[in-house]
Amino acid sequence: MSKILIDIGSTYFKVSQDEGIAQYFRNFERNIYDDFQSRCGDLLSRYAKEDVHICSSANGGLSTLIIGLTHSFSLKYATNIAYNAGINIIDTVLYSHIHEYTPPQEQIDVVIIVGGIDGVKNIFDDTLLDYLKQINFHNIVYVGSDKSHSFMQENLENILILDNIINPKLQVRGEELKNFLTNLYQQDITGKEDIKHLYEFTSNQIYSTPYIVNRSMGMMHKTFEVADPFILIDIGGATTDIHYSRDLVVDNIVSESEYDRLVFKKLGVFKSRDSLVFSAKNNEFVYELLEFLNVTENILEEHSDNATKILMQLSIFLVLYKTSLHHNLYINLQLEKLNSIIFTGGITKVLQFEEVEMIVKFFCKKLLHFHQIPSLIIDDEYKIWTLGIKGSSHVS
Amino acid sequence: MKVVTGVVGNDIHVVANRLIDISLQERGFTVFNLGVNTYLEEFIDAVIETDADVLLVSSLNGEAEGWCRDLGILKSKFDLSGVVFMIGGNLSVGEVSTEEIIPKFQNYGFDLVSHQSDLNEGLDELEALLKERL
Amino acid sequence: MSLLQREREIIVANEYIDNFDFDEVKEFITNASKNLFISHKFKNSDNILVQPRGGFPTYDKVFELYGEFKASNVDVLPLTIDSNTRLNDYAMAKKMLALSEENDTNMLNGYPLVNHGYRTTRKMMVHYDTPISLRHGTPDARLLIETALASGIFEIEGGPITYLLPYSKNFPLDKAFLYWKYVERVCAEYSKLNEPINRESFGPLSATLQAPAIVIVIQLLEMLLSLEEGVKSFSVSFSQTGSMNQDAVSSNVIKKLARKYADKFGHTDAVINLVYHQWMGAFPYNKNSSDALINTSTVIAAIVGANKIITKTRDEAFGLPTKESNAQAVANVKYTLNMLKGLPKIHDEEEEENLTLQVDEILEAVFNDNADTLWRKVFNSIKKGYIDIPFSPHIINHNEVITVRDPQSNIRIYNKGNLPLSEKSFAFDRDKIRLGENESVVQKIIQDIGVML
Repeated sequence: MSKILIDIGSTYFKVSQDEGIAQYFRNFERNIYDDFQSRCGDLLSRYAKEDVHICSSANGGLSTLIIGLTHSFSLKYATNIAYNAGINIIDTVLYSHIHEYTPPQEQIDVVIIVGGIDGVKNIFDDTLLDYLKQINFHNIVYVGSDKSHSFMQENLENILILDNIINPKLQVRGEELKNFLTNLYQQDITGKEDIKHLYEFTSNQIYSTPYIVNRSMGMMHKTFEVADPFILIDIGGATTDIHYSRDLVVDNIVSESEYDRLVFKKLGVFKSRDSLVFSAKNNEFVYELLEFLNVTENILEEHSDNATKILMQLSIFLVLYKTSLHHNLYINLQLEKLNSIIFTGGITKVLQFEEVEMIVKFFCKKLLHFHQIPSLIIDDEYKIWTLGIKGSSHVS
Repeated sequence: MKVVTGVVGNDIHVVANRLIDISLQERGFTVFNLGVNTYLEEFIDAVIETDADVLLVSSLNGEAEGWCRDLGILKSKFDLSGVVFMIGGNLSVGEVSTEEIIPKFQNYGFDLVSHQSDLNEGLDELEALLKERL
Repeated sequence: MSLLQREREIIVANEYIDNFDFDEVKEFITNASKNLFISHKFKNSDNILVQPRGGFPTYDKVFELYGEFKASNVDVLPLTIDSNTRLNDYAMAKKMLALSEENDTNMLNGYPLVNHGYRTTRKMMVHYDTPISLRHGTPDARLLIETALASGIFEIEGGPITYLLPYSKNFPLDKAFLYWKYVERVCAEYSKLNEPINRESFGPLSATLQAPAIVIVIQLLEMLLSLEEGVKSFSVSFSQTGSMNQDAVSSNVIKKLARKYADKFGHTDAVINLVYHQWMGAFPYNKNSSDALINTSTVIAAIVGANKIITKTRDEAFGLPTKESNAQAVANVKYTLNMLKGLPKIHDEEEEENLTLQVDEILEAVFNDNADTLWRKVFNSIKKGYIDIPFSPHIINHNEVITVRDPQSNIRIYNKGNLPLSEKSFAFDRDKIRLGENESVVQKIIQDIGVML
């Protein structure tokens, strides 16, 4: 029996059957379920529930606050695990300096507390509790030293205690936290009114789209002309995801995966357009870039098809810039070693190959001083998530 | 007693690093070995995560100075009052006397400085200091 | 176009490569002189082939070095690659090459092959018409190997384990396996055109107290990973242990098991050679002692029946040798080998039996891993500490195995860490160790590392 694969994004529904892929622009007047039902209901009725596989990024993903003891270990490990579990928004707090951080105003889906190898005592005290009192959060999980278990349990209602993510050799051990965060995404869906009914269509677990995309990374070679090390850039309406080969970073994580993920939450072209324009204007290369694209600064204020294209090109540039050694991030990618770049998401429907190529050329010339650019792949048929979702149905 | 150890900076002397590791274990320490090519921030962070009693930094290629100057700044960021800071190995390039080197590294914030001396003697000194502090 | 070929097109489309012409390269290899193929020389020679080490940044200096070696009647020429190229940092290699050329100094510790390119390098290789062996230490050697093969270098040393664990702290091991898979496939493909390309593993590892069982396990696994991709000519190797008997035992076991496992996995048509490295540990400062050490190792190479010996010089303790002293070392080894033909084998049944048992035990644990591919089984085994080499800087290596010498100078396993050895095979090693009164393990290790000083 053939399967039907569905990706529910913030701007499009994508439906893949044996015959090919169709996509539907969202009708924002309706809630996701009704919109989906009216467009695809008939189609879905032809499939058994176990042959329907859904992934979604429509609920925006989970927001996370990580409170950890050090940058090199607890915060780094937890951030790595959270991104790979498909978390979109991550803020970190260095515990020793917690009084310097302004508590976030917005609702946090999950707070992660981490620090110390097992056996280390007295790491956390009332300072933590005072800080947490100022935050509005749904879930809280502790993944640090076992000696703080009772402190956490006594003082924090509903705290979930999982295995320490730092093992006795100071290496990362992330499986349990990653599974928890992945499942939390599922609970988040069931908790959200407008999409929880999606489970009426499928008896399979609904995964977050970035999680599915990450799963497809190891299978990329079979479908695309791509050579490691490569990165995948998924520019959507709200966020931009990067999935990268592990050998582009120099760090001491013995990883479970060959590819890790990273998110820029404010470089999307629709929902986060304002912040994209803001960071563009503050970039040292942007005026040269606009000149290169033969447009003026005014384009950033326009609302036209051409403006959207330029914004998307800017977004590609900024993403590359922010991951390069020119910008200090939680990690830096050695982009001069890149052999391929894959683009997927909304931009593949807007930009032509040449328009993407132009921007990559500009980046390579300006920042890497290269004339040669990596091979580029535009996933305009959305093959990538179907690869990942098929892989996942294989596993279950 | 817990010790964090490793080789600082762009230094790949893995044999010395491993010998220090085994020596410390033989003397009954619990060892957290960060290996070669380790940066000062990682050392400090490892001390915090493990609640170590000692940080033993080694350097064999003579470039220790450049990597350790900022120890004071890092120490001031965290409460590390109970930790013994030690550095040992070949601490400078060329002919510089031990008398010159020791105060320099003490000023950076090291309690014990062991330049071109025998590994065992250095560790004896460390144990003596730890006993004294108890 | 095959998937591999598509990937190759992307790899050679590199900033530092000037128009890589696959068709031309294919034609060159198809018609290349048989003398450039070491696999051909192995087949047609009864003598141990002699290969020195060496490489300089500039074309001219390598050309002169080769001239000196040829005058010493060398069998195989080396091309050692600089450390920037090993890290794929071609920008730095380019800069340092320019400085080396301008100022006539050596700003690199080897030949930046990618920057020189195959069109230039090939001229030298064709001129000397002698097999060349590529010595590097690169986890991602895809572009380097494309360039080497196109240049007429038809022996490639290395492998995902032996070129990673001794050299790198955090290059991801899983990526190294995949990048070497590419190398094997390219070698396999070119092997169909003329004589086979020979692949050689790097047995010395970190060159410090390596237990024969672990060395042999790694040699056999890299061999299988290579043959599985279609390579037809492979050299396993190890370096002088410091005990002549242990060298004899190691070589008997590695030869027997290499054939056994190659056949078991269906590679009955693959040719397996044995390479012996002269002492790779700390060298004496006394040059007369160096001469004695080098001479002894030449004798051992003959006794163990190596197919190739890789030489050192009497100046080893003092940095890079001059081309003259390097060439003299080749001449000396050839001179000594001339007296060592047709020697009988040394056998030590008990030692060979236990070493075979240890290797089989570790390999069994590796093969029993539940991953679906061999490389992933090996990867998982290293993560679990089933394979653990002493003195590796890599974060994935367990660093729990401790080895010291017994009173006969054999390297023995003192602490087995997570090696999946039976009580019996471990006790055989461990029971032979004698520590002096009040002697700590560390003192013993220090003494054993410095055994030749």
